[in-house]
Amino acid sequence: MSTQHNDSTFDPDEPHLTRFDLVREGARRDGVEIVHYEPRFAKAGTAAEKRVERTIAFWFMITGLAALAFVVVYVAWPWEYEFGGHLDKWYTPMLGATLGLALFGLGAAQIIWAKRLLPAEVSVQERHDDVDTVEQKLTGATLVNMGQELNVSRRPLLKGAIALGALPLGAAAVVPLGGMIVDPHGHGDPLFHTGFDAKQFNEGKPVRLVREDGTPIRPEDVSVGGQITAFPGVPHGTTNVHADSPTLLIHLRDNDAKLTRENLGRVEVNKGGMWQNFVAYSKICTHLGCPASLYEQQTNRLLCPCHQSQFLITDNAKPIFGPATRRLPMLPIGVDDEGFFYATSDYKVPVGAAFWERP
Amino acid sequence: MTSSAEQPRRVPGKLRRRLGAAARMLAALALAGGVYAAIMPASQAEDAPKTLSARAQEGKALYDVSCISCHGTNAEGVKDRGPSLIGVGSAAVEFQVSSGRMPMAAQGAQAERKAVVPLFEDPKKIEALGQYIQEIGGGPQLPGEYGGGDPANGGRLFRVNCAQCHGYTAGGGALSSGKFAPPLDPANSAQLYGAMLTGPQNMPVFGDNQLTVKEKKDIIAYVEYMKNDMDPGGYGLGRIGPATEGIAIFVVGITLLVFTTLWIAGKS
Repeated sequence: MSTQHNDSTFDPDEPHLTRFDLVREGARRDGVEIVHYEPRFAKAGTAAEKRVERTIAFWFMITGLAALAFVVVYVAWPWEYEFGGHLDKWYTPMLGATLGLALFGLGAAQIIWAKRLLPAEVSVQERHDDVDTVEQKLTGATLVNMGQELNVSRRPLLKGAIALGALPLGAAAVVPLGGMIVDPHGHGDPLFHTGFDAKQFNEGKPVRLVREDGTPIRPEDVSVGGQITAFPGVPHGTTNVHADSPTLLIHLRDNDAKLTRENLGRVEVNKGGMWQNFVAYSKICTHLGCPASLYEQQTNRLLCPCHQSQFLITDNAKPIFGPATRRLPMLPIGVDDEGFFYATSDYKVPVGAAFWERP
Repeated sequence: MTSSAEQPRRVPGKLRRRLGAAARMLAALALAGGVYAAIMPASQAEDAPKTLSARAQEGKALYDVSCISCHGTNAEGVKDRGPSLIGVGSAAVEFQVSSGRMPMAAQGAQAERKAVVPLFEDPKKIEALGQYIQEIGGGPQLPGEYGGGDPANGGRLFRVNCAQCHGYTAGGGALSSGKFAPPLDPANSAQLYGAMLTGPQNMPVFGDNQLTVKEKKDIIAYVEYMKNDMDPGGYGLGRIGPATEGIAIFVVGITLLVFTTLWIAGKS
């Protein structure tokens, strides 16, 4: 558009002009010069040309056959799951292979047609390297004119209406982000308490440690060198309502338990938190909250699978490797009159990843 | 003792009372001893190594040539070489030896599965060795029968208890300092059961109170199911999921696209 060629002298109705002359003129007006143009085969109908035609036809046939095969596979291939190595395991691959081959054949036929049958052509397109200052000024004037036409400054009612309409629209985009922020002090300090908080979730009665199915855990249920994931025995304790509460209850060997008990003194809040050879830590990694439950029973390390943090169980779950910087909080445990584990109190340190107000 | 307190008042019955007390004492001792002997046969066996069964004797002979250097003369363990085998039971022996982990080739972070050593190629010999360890120390034993589990429930239990280390598809995973949780593919049912029951190396123990015999069989059913099922298309690319599948389609697919593009744009 910007390059205006002198087309005033060109008359498309002139009788001596061929159709190709019109094509060439059309390209020229778009800044493209056709400098070389000749048919691929000088003489029509040669053996070489026929061979290319047959190749193209072959690919169209492949497309047809493969597409037909796709339909047949889709309708007739056994697709219902069956155990073991059966045809159903090939249903999806067969759909993909047949449809893929069909589309590939269609593409191949077209590309070969374009490369081998269409006339050989060399065209040169003009590059617009120079800055057209006139065009710049014209475009600028057009834009400014559009602003002037709206004339908001002379129409204060519309100005106010736009502000009143657009601002809440912006708020509608931003405000929902606020829903992702948990208020650490709303509804009973959720970041500071877990489902093991007896006062909040169990009417003041001590909260038992239960399995996933809600049954309480006895000391003899966990073998020496074993571990079990425990949940708070409160309503919805094993659901996402208390997603911060899963706890790893570990039964240590005598020697390891002795070492662990000696080390309890190093962390004030952990004192008295063990029951005999049992110790319980939060399963939520203090780095980013993954379930850290890869327990190595010989080395007494607890691993988090997400970023390879490691915690030393025998020393208050101290982080000894990886990105975690805080100890796993300990759940102080005891065994009640009926012989079931219970939490003597809630976690004394917030569980999970750090947050800005964490003490 | 009571009779001596009553002595001053009832002199004539003294001898009879003494005899009666002695008889009652003897009877009580005999009863207590009898009950003890009846309910504690295992500890008696411990105290009297002479009572080893013929099979255990055979096991002891095997122990003395291939285990004794690390686990000590009476399986009490050798410091910095091998742990005590008292209380590990025949289950642990059968798991460790049948999977080739024991005897260990060298001390290291991980006892790796390898071909069973020639000495123990006959499963009867492993059983004999297990019998020996069982008779001197007691401990968990394999049930010998592992079928009939429910793979659906086993899958649920597997994801709760095993997947964190062995991976969702039992392909294994990394642990600390060069250790790893092995893939479960090469393990047979008895080895799967033995591993859960005894907690070999760094694996936690899953005793029968935590995972019942039925639940263990369910897990075995699930693992066997996964081992024997076929991957869609015939190859699971390690069953790792999007990671390997993404790499595969990127390497193969992009290469193909690049060459196709070159062919389309190239001069003919």
